[in-house]
Amino acid sequence: MQVVSAVGEAFNNIVLHGYGGRTGSGREGSIDLRIQTRRGHIRIELRDWGSGFDPTGVPPPAFDTLPESGLGLFIMQSFMEMAYRQGRPNLLTLSKRYVDRSSAARKSEGAT
Amino acid sequence: MRFEIKPASGVTHLVIEGELDAVSVSDLRPELEKLVKARPAIVEVDLSSLRMVDSSGVGALVSLYKRVRAQGGSVVIKGLRDQPLAIFRLLRLDRVMLNADSRTPPPAHKQSKSRH
Repeated sequence: MQVVSAVGEAFNNIVLHGYGGRTGSGREGSIDLRIQTRRGHIRIELRDWGSGFDPTGVPPPAFDTLPESGLGLFIMQSFMEMAYRQGRPNLLTLSKRYVDRSSAARKSEGAT
Repeated sequence: MRFEIKPASGVTHLVIEGELDAVSVSDLRPELEKLVKARPAIVEVDLSSLRMVDSSGVGALVSLYKRVRAQGGSVVIKGLRDQPLAIFRLLRLDRVMLNADSRTPPPAHKQSKSRH
């Protein structure tokens, strides 16, 4: 759930901000999405060729004011480890460690 | 995403089901605009069948909440669970938007799903 939320926000950020303004103009933008998994770890890389941004320059949401925007980056960084490299392409990496329930279950079954 | 708005004299009911995200929110926003312009006294938002919400969807709900309250009305959000509840908690909206209105019924008994 957290991975789906974070990756969804990352994807929307690229579409809305990285490639913002291209809708309907006939110019298309590409997003290269790579998912690597190994036991207990998932790493997702998103590459795009749109406008980059500086995540360190984005202040955290001022929750007291009930913000209506600027929440996506906070969701990404809260749910996953995030790294960003601006360039051609821009590279956004989201990673997360998790408990591998399937192998834990197999081990448990094997023990009985 | 499916939604339904049932205006009534006392309480305007808004039900949102499915996934409310950056794409589907564009269908909802014009209707929320109309809803706010009708200056409702109370808006009851039923999110019990909302499976996923993203920051765009949250933004639309926060906007509704702020604008209705700015007009002297109130917004009651009900039924948040799973991913939408986790997002509301993460963004600290649960304290403000879920508890600000004392009209929120206590969770002592389960409400029927009937929609009037």
